Amino acid sequence: MLLASMDKVVFGYSDVPCLESANMDIYSGEFVAVTGPNGASKTTLLKLSLGLIKPWRGDVYLAKRNQSGKKLVIGYVPQQIAAFNSGFPSTILEFVLSGTYVRGSWLRKLSHRDHAFTEQALRQVGMWQHRNRKIGELSGGQKQRICIARALAQQPDLLIMDEPTTGMDQESRFGFYELMHHHVKEHGRTVVMVTHSLTEVHSYLDRIIELEKKEEGGWKCCTTTSCSGHFSPAG
Amino acid sequence: MEMLHYDFMQRAFFAGGLIALVASVLGVYLMLRRQALMADMLSHVSLAGVAGGAYLQLNPSLTGFVIAIAGAIAVEYVRRSYKTYSEISTAIIMIGGLSSAVVLMSLNQGMNKSFSSYLFGSVVAVNQTELSLMIAVALIGAIFFIVFRRPLYQITFDEETAATNGIPVKWISLIFSIITGMIVAAAMPIVGVLLVSSLIVLPAALAIRVSPSFTSALFIAMGIGLIGVFSGLTASYELSTPPGGTIAIVLLVLLVAGIAAKKLMLHAGKLRSKHSNRKADTVSTAFPRFTKNSSIHTTGGKENESMV
Repeated sequence: MLLASMDKVVFGYSDVPCLESANMDIYSGEFVAVTGPNGASKTTLLKLSLGLIKPWRGDVYLAKRNQSGKKLVIGYVPQQIAAFNSGFPSTILEFVLSGTYVRGSWLRKLSHRDHAFTEQALRQVGMWQHRNRKIGELSGGQKQRICIARALAQQPDLLIMDEPTTGMDQESRFGFYELMHHHVKEHGRTVVMVTHSLTEVHSYLDRIIELEKKEEGGWKCCTTTSCSGHFSPAG
Repeated sequence: MEMLHYDFMQRAFFAGGLIALVASVLGVYLMLRRQALMADMLSHVSLAGVAGGAYLQLNPSLTGFVIAIAGAIAVEYVRRSYKTYSEISTAIIMIGGLSSAVVLMSLNQGMNKSFSSYLFGSVVAVNQTELSLMIAVALIGAIFFIVFRRPLYQITFDEETAATNGIPVKWISLIFSIITGMIVAAAMPIVGVLLVSSLIVLPAALAIRVSPSFTSALFIAMGIGLIGVFSGLTASYELSTPPGGTIAIVLLVLLVAGIAAKKLMLHAGKLRSKHSNRKADTVSTAFPRFTKNSSIHTTGGKENESMV
């Protein structure tokens, strides 16, 4: 099922476009990496696909419903957002639990399921023991992990992350790739992430979308590589 | 408690208490949205409304109220134009408000004396109309902060993530700005234009430093706001000083004392751990590796329900 797509999209922040004739398709159940050099508009591409910014020209499509016909739940982890909010006076538990607010009305009482999803997400990123600490006390890598946990607590159909492994050590990065691979293969989630560490993540991926520089300036994106996503967890 | 025999003091305490509760909660959100100076800016804009109302021979409190709301709407639109530097929008609207107020005040030479009660606050300034206005504003503010507490939390942390969750960020931000304008205008008669931001910013500044969680930050801010207003009004009555300045000084003293106490506690904690040779938190912080046989044992969410 097609979840998100872009067709001949043109966008710029000034009068000069930074993204030209961008095409992209994201299907459900894929683990996709978006890559390209610095300044290639990778973040812009994600924001366009999420509808956070409007393109100058071209078509952007984002599915409203998932395969079961329910409202599509999107988990989004922006670039280094936790580092920006380092003084936020919230516990990790409060913060990750806020991911579950996306389901149901704003005034509903949070259920056992919400708390269970929160606990599971925190355990999956290895931060459950720290749940009562404040966000400001964490390191950059730990903050990034609780942002990932919040997105996972949403039980998202589509998980979009902008350089999610920033600040993580190598062991944590591999733990993260394995976790995402598990969510794609076992829970049928779709994961799209911007990364510069293609060599590391390559064996976990289904596809790579690379932004290439156009000869006349600007950037375009095209699907360049299909990966097997052949990673098989040990044990 | 002799002062509470007077009607005007009863009104001041009742209205001040109500406004302190909503203003303190508002302050927490404003500070975390990096809009701490918005209250100051709106009070200056509101002054233009007061001056305009006096010039047009309308009720100055009501015109100040309307202009504060208009300023709040304007700042929300200017903020979107200067997204990265939201303080620029504050500066722009403040200049507009203050310059209009100065010009309009110069046209009202005969009533400069009554302006001082708007500038510095006055316990006798709270008449029945203003009391009704404050009760209405406190009610609207309380309903807003209760109904929208979850989306507000998400918007305050990050607007873009909130938008991807389907939250109408623009509308809620606009309503938030209007509520800010209403609370600022309602608080003006007691604390005055020049110090209205103290009632909003100072309790929040201390609460954010000392609270262990977001929910507790809101309640601690309300407590500090109430203590500040009640002690400030009492001191103002006893010493015959303007209530705005007195409340602001009490809140400042509370802020300094609170920060000092927190630092002392941290220092004492460090000394204790040094003497007891305790090690820092040694719980593993590694990202767990995922294998085929991996299973995450959870308590089914029961363990954390009581904590939030």
